[in-house]
Amino acid sequence: MFQWLSKYFASPKALHEAGILGMNSRNFKFISKYNKRRRYPLVDDKVQTKALAQKFGITTPRLIGTIEYQHQVSDFQDMVKDWESFVIKPAHGSGGKGVLVIKSHRENTYFTPSGRMLTYKDIYQHLSNTLSGLYSLGGQYDTAVLEEMVNFSHIFDDYSYQGIPDVRLIVYRGYPVMAMTRLATAASGGRANLHQGAVGVGLDIKTGKTLKAVMRNLPITHHPDTHADLSKIEVPLWKEHLLIGAKAYEMTRLGYLGADIVLDANKGPMMLELNARPGLAVQIANGIGLGKVLKKVDKFYPKRLSPEERVEFLLNYQDK
Amino acid sequence: MLMLKRLKKLFTIRFVLTIMLIISCAFAGYRIYYKVKYWGFSFAPHEKTNIWTVEANVSFVANGEPIHISLAKPKSSDEYKILDEDVVAPGYKTKISQDRISLTSDGRDGQQNVYYRILLFDNTNGKGKIAAPAPKAPEKPIFSKQQEQTTQELISLASKQTGDAVQQLIRLFNQTPPEPTVVAFLPANKTPKDLAQIISNLLAYQGISSRLARGIKLQEDKTSMEPDLMLEAYMDGRWKLYDLTTGQIGLPKDFIIIQRGGKSLLDIAGGYESNVKFSVLKSVTTSFNLAGKRAKLSNEQKAFDSSIYNLPVAQQNTIKWLMIFPLAILVIAVVRNVIGLSTMGTFTPMLIAMALVKTGLVPGLICFVIIMTLGLLIRALFSKLNLLLVPRISAVVVCVILIIQYMCVFSYQLGSDIGSSAMFFPIIIMAWIIERASITWEEDGPFNSCREIVFSLVAALATYVIICNSTIRYIMFAFNELNLVLLFVIMLLGTYTGYRLTELKRFRPLVK
Repeated sequence: MFQWLSKYFASPKALHEAGILGMNSRNFKFISKYNKRRRYPLVDDKVQTKALAQKFGITTPRLIGTIEYQHQVSDFQDMVKDWESFVIKPAHGSGGKGVLVIKSHRENTYFTPSGRMLTYKDIYQHLSNTLSGLYSLGGQYDTAVLEEMVNFSHIFDDYSYQGIPDVRLIVYRGYPVMAMTRLATAASGGRANLHQGAVGVGLDIKTGKTLKAVMRNLPITHHPDTHADLSKIEVPLWKEHLLIGAKAYEMTRLGYLGADIVLDANKGPMMLELNARPGLAVQIANGIGLGKVLKKVDKFYPKRLSPEERVEFLLNYQDK
Repeated sequence: MLMLKRLKKLFTIRFVLTIMLIISCAFAGYRIYYKVKYWGFSFAPHEKTNIWTVEANVSFVANGEPIHISLAKPKSSDEYKILDEDVVAPGYKTKISQDRISLTSDGRDGQQNVYYRILLFDNTNGKGKIAAPAPKAPEKPIFSKQQEQTTQELISLASKQTGDAVQQLIRLFNQTPPEPTVVAFLPANKTPKDLAQIISNLLAYQGISSRLARGIKLQEDKTSMEPDLMLEAYMDGRWKLYDLTTGQIGLPKDFIIIQRGGKSLLDIAGGYESNVKFSVLKSVTTSFNLAGKRAKLSNEQKAFDSSIYNLPVAQQNTIKWLMIFPLAILVIAVVRNVIGLSTMGTFTPMLIAMALVKTGLVPGLICFVIIMTLGLLIRALFSKLNLLLVPRISAVVVCVILIIQYMCVFSYQLGSDIGSSAMFFPIIIMAWIIERASITWEEDGPFNSCREIVFSLVAALATYVIICNSTIRYIMFAFNELNLVLLFVIMLLGTYTGYRLTELKRFRPLVK
C-alpha cells in the first residue's frame, strides 16, 4: 500500500527537503509579498511592457502599430505595407493564445511560417476576435499589437518540432535564479506548454547549458520528433539573456517574475513578454527545487546592486 | 528595539488569525451554550418537544359567603417548564403566585366551575433531580409503648427488603401476601394517603424527613383524573420521589408534580362539595418553534427579538439558505488550495452543488449531463461561425434556456419530473461552463476538457454531500455564530503554504 503510494506520490517532507516550491507557498510567500498588484498591468499589457522596456534599454521586437477600435481594423493593411513579415498579438494575451505570425504577404494573401494561406478576410476576422477579447486574460476588450517578426537564430532549429523556443528566466529580487527552454513537439501540437507534452529543458543559470530534459514529467535525452540530442543545448549570448532578466526587475519592480526571451539572429536576445505569476514547471525541467534557490538569494545575495552588478555577482557566485 | 522586532515577529498574520480563530471559537461556544440554555435550541433539526395542556377543573357548590379558592399549581423552573397559564373564572379576582393560585369573589350561589389551564413543555434535564437545602429533622411521632414495639418490628422486617430505607418500607407494605404485622398495623380500608401517612411516620421515627407530593401523570387525552400521590423523602442531600406501590425512585416519565408537602391541593372557603379534576392534552412541536417563548421565560426576549429567528419565515428561509454558503465556500477553498484540483471557475462547483440540493442528486446529475452534452454540441457549431465573444456567449445562454424548456416539456410528456429539475441550474453559469469547456476542448484537447468537467463535478459532489445534510444546514442556521469561526478558518487557509495534494504527484520525479 505505502509502496504503491510512494511510487506515485512524494511525501511532503521529502518535497520540503528537496526545497520544492509549491503553488500555495509561491503565492503566499513570494507573489503576494514581492509583486505589487498595481504593477501587474505593466506586464499584463504588452504595449506598456514594450514602451517601458525601451526606457530601460531592453530590446524587444519593434512595434509596428496597435489597433484599439473596430473601425481601425481596416487600417492594418496600411500599417504593414512596409513590412515583409509581422506578428499580431493580443495585448493582454497569455501563453501564446491568439498569436498570428505572417511570414510574407502580397496583395490580399498572407502566408504563415508553416505555409498556410490566409485571406484579408481571415486576418480581419482574427483582429476582430482579438479586439472582442477572445484571447485576452479575462475576456475583456483588448488591443491588437502588430510587431515585427523576430528573425530567429537558427541555433534551435534542430530542437523544435514547430514554433520557436524561447528561454524562460525566473527572476527573483532582480537575480535570474532558474532558466529553461520549452520545445514544442508533435504531441504538444506545436505548442510550448509542458502540460500539453512539450519538452522542457532546464538550463544552467550560469552557463545556459542543458541541465536536464523532461517530457511529461519523465527525463529524456533526445527530442521525440527531431531526435536532436538535448544534452548539447548551449544558449549563446547567455550573459545578455541574464542581463535582460535582471533589468526586467528594475523595469517592473516585481520581485518574482518570469521573463520570456528569444534570440534574434541579428539583434541578439530580445524580451518577448513578462509574467507576474510564472509557473512552477521550471523546477521539473531543472530537477531542482526553486524554494531552496530563493532562500539562498534571500540569505547570501547582496541587495541594491545594479543589474550589471547582479549578473556579475551571479556568474561569480560559488555555492558553499 | 529588539523587543519590538520580536513582537513583530510574533504577530505574524497567521498568529493573529489563529488568535482570532480561538476568540471566535470561544464566542461561538458561548453563544451555543446561551442558545441551548435560554432559547432551548437543540442540535437535532427536528427534535420534538411535547407540550402538555393540563386543565384543572375546580367545581364546588357555593354557599353564598365570600369565596376564596386556593389551588396548588406546579412551579415553573421545575422538571417541566410552564409555557403559558391562564385561569378561566369569570367574575373572580385572580392572583397567581409561585406555587398557588388564589381566586376571590363575593358570595355566590349554586354550582361553580373554575378552570385553570397551563401549557407545559418537557425540560428533560431537570427531571427528578431537585437539590434542596436540608430540611429540619422531623419531629419524632409520639407512639404508645405497643405502637413503638410494632414500629420497631416493622422496621426490622423492612430491613429484609431491598433498596434504601424508604424503598424497604414501601415494599414491605406492598408485599403480597402481606406480613401479619403489617396487616395489623394498617387500617382495614387503606387509601394511598393513609399508606403514605404511615410510611411518613415510620420514616420520621427513623429521623428521615418526608412529605407528600401530588401530581398527575401526563397522558395523552386523558380527562378527569384524580391527582396521584407520591412520597418524597429527603435522602442523600436531595428530595427523592418514591412511587408508593413499587418504591421506584425518581419522577415517573411524563409526571408532573402539582403540589408538595403538607399544604392541601385545594382550599375553598364559601363553598362545599369541592372537587378538582384534571385533564391532559398533548401536542407536539419542534424545539425550534418554542425558542421565542423560552427566551421570554428566561428573560431573554430582547435578545431573541433582535435575532434572525424573529424575522418573517420567508426571510428566515432565505437566511437559512445563505448560512450554508460559508461551509460550501470552505469546501471549495480546501478542494482548490489543499487538494489542488483545478475546477472551472472558482465557485462554479458550489453553484452546481446548490442546484443539486434543490433538484436531488440523480435527477440533477442527469439534467447536468444532458444540458452539458447538448450545450457542447451547439457550441461546437458556433465555433465554426467565428462569432464575437459576447454575442457567442449570449447565444449559448439562449440555447441553454431553450434546452431547459424542452427538457421540461419532454419529461412532462413522459410523465417524469426529472426535466423540471433542470430549471434550478443557474443558466448563466451553465453557459459559462459550456463556453469554458469548449475552449479547453479546442485548445487542450477533449481529454483536458473532460478532466476539468469531472474535477468540477467532484468538487460539486463534495460540496453537495456536506450541504445536502439537513442536520448540518440546521446547525449552521441555528448556531450561525459558527460562520464566524468558518471565516477565520478560511482566512487561515489563505496563509497555508504547504503542498497541495496534487503537487505531491506532480513533483514526485524531483525526489529520489
